[in-house]
Amino acid sequence: MLTKVWSAANYGLEAVEIETEVNVAEKGFPGFTVVGLASKAIEEAKERVKTAILNSDLDFDTAKITVNLAPADLPKEGACYDLPIAIGILASSAQIEMPKDKAYFFGELSLDGSLRHSRGVFLLAILAKERGVKKIFVPRLCANEAAVVDGVEVYPVDSLKVLVKHLRGQCLITPLKYVESQDLLDESVVQFDFSEILGQESAKRALEIAAAGGHNIFLMGPPGSGKTMLSRALPGILPPLSEEESLEVTKIYSITGNIPPGGSLIRNRPFRSPHHTTSQVGLIGGGSNPRPGEISLAHRGVLFLDEFPEVTRMSLEALRQPLEDGNVTISRAAGSVNFPCQFMLVAAANLCPCGFLGDSKKECKCNIHQIMNYQKKLSGPIMDRIDLHLNVPSVDVNKLMIGESENLAEKSENIRKKVIAARNIQKKRFENILRVHSNSDMKNKHLKEFAKLEDRANLLLKQAVNKFFLSARTYFRLIKVSRTIADLEGSENINEGHVAEALQYRIRTEE
Amino acid sequence: MEKQFNYIKGRYGENIAKEHLLKKGFVFIESNFENKIGEIDLIMSDRDWLVFIEVKYKSDNRLGAPEEMISNNKIWQIRKVAESFLVERKRDVGQYQKYRIDAVCILGDKIRHYENLN
Repeated sequence: MLTKVWSAANYGLEAVEIETEVNVAEKGFPGFTVVGLASKAIEEAKERVKTAILNSDLDFDTAKITVNLAPADLPKEGACYDLPIAIGILASSAQIEMPKDKAYFFGELSLDGSLRHSRGVFLLAILAKERGVKKIFVPRLCANEAAVVDGVEVYPVDSLKVLVKHLRGQCLITPLKYVESQDLLDESVVQFDFSEILGQESAKRALEIAAAGGHNIFLMGPPGSGKTMLSRALPGILPPLSEEESLEVTKIYSITGNIPPGGSLIRNRPFRSPHHTTSQVGLIGGGSNPRPGEISLAHRGVLFLDEFPEVTRMSLEALRQPLEDGNVTISRAAGSVNFPCQFMLVAAANLCPCGFLGDSKKECKCNIHQIMNYQKKLSGPIMDRIDLHLNVPSVDVNKLMIGESENLAEKSENIRKKVIAARNIQKKRFENILRVHSNSDMKNKHLKEFAKLEDRANLLLKQAVNKFFLSARTYFRLIKVSRTIADLEGSENINEGHVAEALQYRIRTEE
Repeated sequence: MEKQFNYIKGRYGENIAKEHLLKKGFVFIESNFENKIGEIDLIMSDRDWLVFIEVKYKSDNRLGAPEEMISNNKIWQIRKVAESFLVERKRDVGQYQKYRIDAVCILGDKIRHYENLN
């Protein structure tokens, strides 16, 4: 007997409907074959499905079983077809009856018949809504992910046994109501509070601006001056994700299986800090069935690259286009996929191999050749895309010795409030513009409307561009940073003070 | 000792299968054709087909059904041995144009015959 069970495959950032056809034939030599461009994980589904069915006190008939995953030309991977195949076999051998309405079945089976956490459930729910499918059966561990999407009944399934009882009408599963995920700062990501970092006031101010407008920032200085510490404290002042941003980020996290069991919408801005040996594919994304890389996982959040010049040149230069466009298209034999990647780049680096170039106390031991080689990594096109360049000098020891009461440094909490206020102004400003959420997302055409420079500010900017030979891209980026500084002050127009501060972060002075 | 017992059991199963197929009208040609790749339990003819037969005998299904013991690998092996059989006995079986592989699975006193595995 032939049964058709509906499921879905993830392809890029979209789910595609998959029809799982299961035929259990009495005639013919018994066996179990899966066709339809199935990957190794699906080939192995045979063993999982068979054992899970037997361990759920159900019968697995000795018969010729043929499974077809249609459309046949789309490569399929992952273990999420276990459940549809198992349901198909049970229905074909007349042990259960298929529901009358179209429903999606999705999930990986464990040998004991329980369902495991599976990737991409959020996308499945979105597909179900688009296609008007009312019911989806997914593992309980990731059901909350799907429950966010309204208009779809999400049935959380613990095990095959429970699902069979539901389909037989013996013991019904109640659809899951969305459980709000907590809108709290993830303590595990925030390692430092800004008030713990002594000195470095200008660096803190620059990070505040970067966080408020989503601008790229480059920190340079001798070892031990606190570059890494500053960057690690950054998540503590990032504003929460807006509703729309949250959906974008959740899609990416769902497809990579990064949403923890029971979790749902991602509310916190991602903070990714890949090691500098990360490959180009790991950073940008890729693979024969393209998967998002670190830059996409950092979408709407922060990509922190420590020891920036140590990253391989190939990976670094590959960042150019995604940094400018905010999305990356990956083309492989299987097809091409577009992943969003509007991230804020935070890069930290020493200025020479020994690290002490430009330090006021310690002498640099590198020769000119070594320094040139090291700085060659920081190519013009990449540095041009970074809005805030910052020197982080080593801290005077006297500043480190002050007591608790003398510490006037601002707490992350207070800075975060200011950042959120600035972001709220931006949110209002870009309300009607698609995919623009912060000042750094602005396209040049938006600048005329939203970033009005006062006459004196305009003059100052013009002079600076002429004097320091700044590029056209830098010119526009400077206006965006000035806009953010004005927003932090709550000022409507951009005055010369704002431009002057923006310029100060832009022009690298050789010491 | 153990090995010897398996051998006897196998022969016992093969005899049951042979009797069963003779009753169905098959004609016996050869049994236990061996070369370095493997062995074919029975070779018989069914009308104008030349049939290579794998016999699986199990006294009970404590360790699984006999059908499960015939893997794709085993079928491939039979194919290879059958090819060399056809070359070696060209004179005797040259009149057959159609070949197939069958399986006879015996579980206790139940006999199941499957035609044309692939």
